[in-house]
Amino acid sequence: MERFGMTATTNGQPGTDGQRRPYPTGRLSDGKPRAIMFDSSACIGCRQCVEACKDWNELPRGNTYKINPSTWLTMEPPVLEGTASIWGRNSCMHCEYPACASVCPVEAITKYDEGPVVIDPNICIGCEYCIHACPWDVISKSDVTGRATKCTMCSDRVGKDQQPFCVQACPAGALAFGTVEEIEAQTSERAAATGATVYGLREAGGTHVLHVLTQPPEEHGMPEVSSDRYPAHHIPLATEIKGVLTLTGGVEGKLRAVKNAVSKPWRLKYRYWHKPEQP
Amino acid sequence: MAIDAPVSGAARDNLFPKVRRTPLPGGYMGKLLRIDLTAGTCQAIELPEEPVLRKYWGGQALGTYILLNEMTSDVEAFSPQSKIAMMTGPVTGTGLTPGGTKMTAVYPSPATRNTLGRGATSGFWGVALKSAGYDGIIIQGQSDHPVYLYIDEDRVELRDARAVWGKGTRQTEDMLRRQSGHQDTRVACIGPAGENLIHAAMLVNDYNHVAAHGLGAVMGSKKLKAIVVRGTRRPPIKDKEALINAGQRWRGTLRAFDIKSRQGVGHGGSWGAITRHNWRATTIEDHARGFDRNRITPRPCFQCARMCPWDAELHGEREGEIVHFNAGSEWLDTFFNLDITGNDVLYLSERINDLGIECSHFADGAGLAFEAFEKGLLKPQQIGGMELKWGDTAVVDKLLDMCARREGWLGNLLAEGPKELAEALGGDAKQWVVHTKGGTPAQHEWRPLLGNMLRELVASGGMKPQGGGSATVPPDLKYRENWGPLSPTESEGWAWSHILSEQYRQSSGLMGACWFAMNQMVPDGYKSMIDALNATTGWNVTLDEALDVGHRSMILQSIFGTQRGWIAENDWTDVGPRFLEPIPDGEHKGFTIAKFLPDIIQEYYRLSGRDEMTGRPFKDTLERLGLQEFAEWSASE
Repeated sequence: MERFGMTATTNGQPGTDGQRRPYPTGRLSDGKPRAIMFDSSACIGCRQCVEACKDWNELPRGNTYKINPSTWLTMEPPVLEGTASIWGRNSCMHCEYPACASVCPVEAITKYDEGPVVIDPNICIGCEYCIHACPWDVISKSDVTGRATKCTMCSDRVGKDQQPFCVQACPAGALAFGTVEEIEAQTSERAAATGATVYGLREAGGTHVLHVLTQPPEEHGMPEVSSDRYPAHHIPLATEIKGVLTLTGGVEGKLRAVKNAVSKPWRLKYRYWHKPEQP
Repeated sequence: MAIDAPVSGAARDNLFPKVRRTPLPGGYMGKLLRIDLTAGTCQAIELPEEPVLRKYWGGQALGTYILLNEMTSDVEAFSPQSKIAMMTGPVTGTGLTPGGTKMTAVYPSPATRNTLGRGATSGFWGVALKSAGYDGIIIQGQSDHPVYLYIDEDRVELRDARAVWGKGTRQTEDMLRRQSGHQDTRVACIGPAGENLIHAAMLVNDYNHVAAHGLGAVMGSKKLKAIVVRGTRRPPIKDKEALINAGQRWRGTLRAFDIKSRQGVGHGGSWGAITRHNWRATTIEDHARGFDRNRITPRPCFQCARMCPWDAELHGEREGEIVHFNAGSEWLDTFFNLDITGNDVLYLSERINDLGIECSHFADGAGLAFEAFEKGLLKPQQIGGMELKWGDTAVVDKLLDMCARREGWLGNLLAEGPKELAEALGGDAKQWVVHTKGGTPAQHEWRPLLGNMLRELVASGGMKPQGGGSATVPPDLKYRENWGPLSPTESEGWAWSHILSEQYRQSSGLMGACWFAMNQMVPDGYKSMIDALNATTGWNVTLDEALDVGHRSMILQSIFGTQRGWIAENDWTDVGPRFLEPIPDGEHKGFTIAKFLPDIIQEYYRLSGRDEMTGRPFKDTLERLGLQEFAEWSASE
């Protein structure tokens, strides 16, 4: 399966832990898992990462205070640059066990070995299930294309061994990118130095964005998320009914969803009668 | 709406084409706004054709070219016929370079009355203007009641500003942003100083940024309180990959300001002299007392890694107060000049920005008043019994309000300017004053520095000057320049060094880049910027061409003055004598540029292709720069 010019393996293949994954997995380059570090103690809230994200992805300017189809990364709280004393980074956490991907009826979301969780807009049918499944509420739906959008961890750059564009833009040394081992070592070192905690290591069974937080997560605008893999979620009945009864995804898209459900019925439990998995 | 001012020259009639005949280069949005405050109309017009853009790029040069086309030379700064041209450049707001933040406004200077006024600013506002879809704004006419301009892409309207008239710049910014309903709306506004036509009133934007030198006063005369802008568009880029590459090289040349640099006496610390006691002392004592205990937060401009702007949360006596600044630090020298020290300096600096008064205008006016009071020329009964005691924060605080609102005899004269105050004081006050052609130099103790002094003297007086030269050739220009190192105490070479620096600084602003984000003294510092311009626009500008574009801007600036009666001689004759006195103390004691005057200034004009007495460009200078249309203003043979 060709996605963004990179190879994605067929779904159901075991991940690195040998478990069957309810979504496509793929490899961008060398397969080494990577992670982003965000250090809140160094962040000055300048939003250069937010604008850099827009620059690389050619997203419209403005509306930078809330996640939306043109803003995949926000800095919290939503106040003017530099005017808060505690900052948080809000964007896709690139979960090791992405609930968004597990609920997608058409397998439009791929988890890459290098870390990125990426929505393929050509496959997405706009059902909004992923939006409801995400524990961090960082997926939005484009009014123009009707497809789900979110941060890609710059998978196109990571595939070429470059760091995400937001990371290279940070003028304050609050962002870093590297292999999971490097970033884990760096975050624990920084956390130890400032008495901070590391967020994202255990949440949702582990993520590829590690936050060094000087205050409790909620003060940085981060929700409490259980350590379960594919954390509990609730897709509203209205969304499900809308998916069946309206033109969402078109006839072709609906057919793809039905075909997927018939050929891989074991995936349906993640969407409809999901029980979070203990790590 | 027709262009209503007389236009000379057939070639200029179609400056703003109805239908574009040439392709728009990358980086530009392609539209300007023409706001007529008399008629209450807002109109989007086409940006000039490509050959005009290639010649002037944007910023000061394009703005001045528009003014020269549209405004007759008898129009005074506060007249309804006066115009303001606010321009960004192609590099503004691409996001892929540092420093792509500049907006430069030009207008007739209210301070000098016969030269070009220029106010330039960075931050986020200029980027937001481009995001709204516009490269610049031409403001003309005069409203009969306070208004502000609201721009949200295709929605452009004048709104009633009576609710914010009289308010400081901080409160105005907050209120208008809240009213817009969008948290990321950007506001540029004037304070009470602009409303009351203080000759050097500023436009203040994004808290930390100011466009000084009378722009606020011209806006005040038009009853235009603010320009509120937002948008979602982005400039088209010709070669994104090349721009990312050039932007990263450019970024690599920058030296970021660190927190420690915000805890000292500012710029003058680097050569060991600050302005004190109305320029009668220069040595640094405990002026920065307590600064190291303040909590400093950098607030960099849009996508810039230079980290100039900063906030401080004050400790000590003014515990918890928040103050907002940019690079430069003229405000520190402003209050050091009145013998204020410690955090009171930062408190008063915040006040002056909130009121919207240019630092040096106040520093040199108030400094003169204090000296006149000390020497008995100014009596308490003339100023309502006030005692002008050096270092008295409460008195300075009160003077700021008096100046911004033209209260009382002294408040009114502080509003007019130091030169006017000296004339009103009479006696020897004319010998104690610092001014340049009725404007004021940037407030630093420049007198030990030859190149910088030359820069301050030849600048329009209605603007913060650019350049100042370097003792050695910037590495990127070594292919064409071979001179230096220059002696700091001999005049030889400084005129040319300054001309060159004026050219490259100008070119930075014209492309829409901040000259604070330019580090020409390291390899690739200038070249990476020009490569970024080329990647953005699709042009193939060489360094020589870039310097010529800067030179063109210098010549247009002086033609604007020539049309209004300025002559080069004013640069050394219309100067407050104190500014030319030998340094009174410290390591530079006794040095003065005066012994090189007027020769060094005359050399500057000659070497830049202008007549040394009149400042008019020679015909061959105009021909070389493609400015033949201004031949009537050239030097006579």
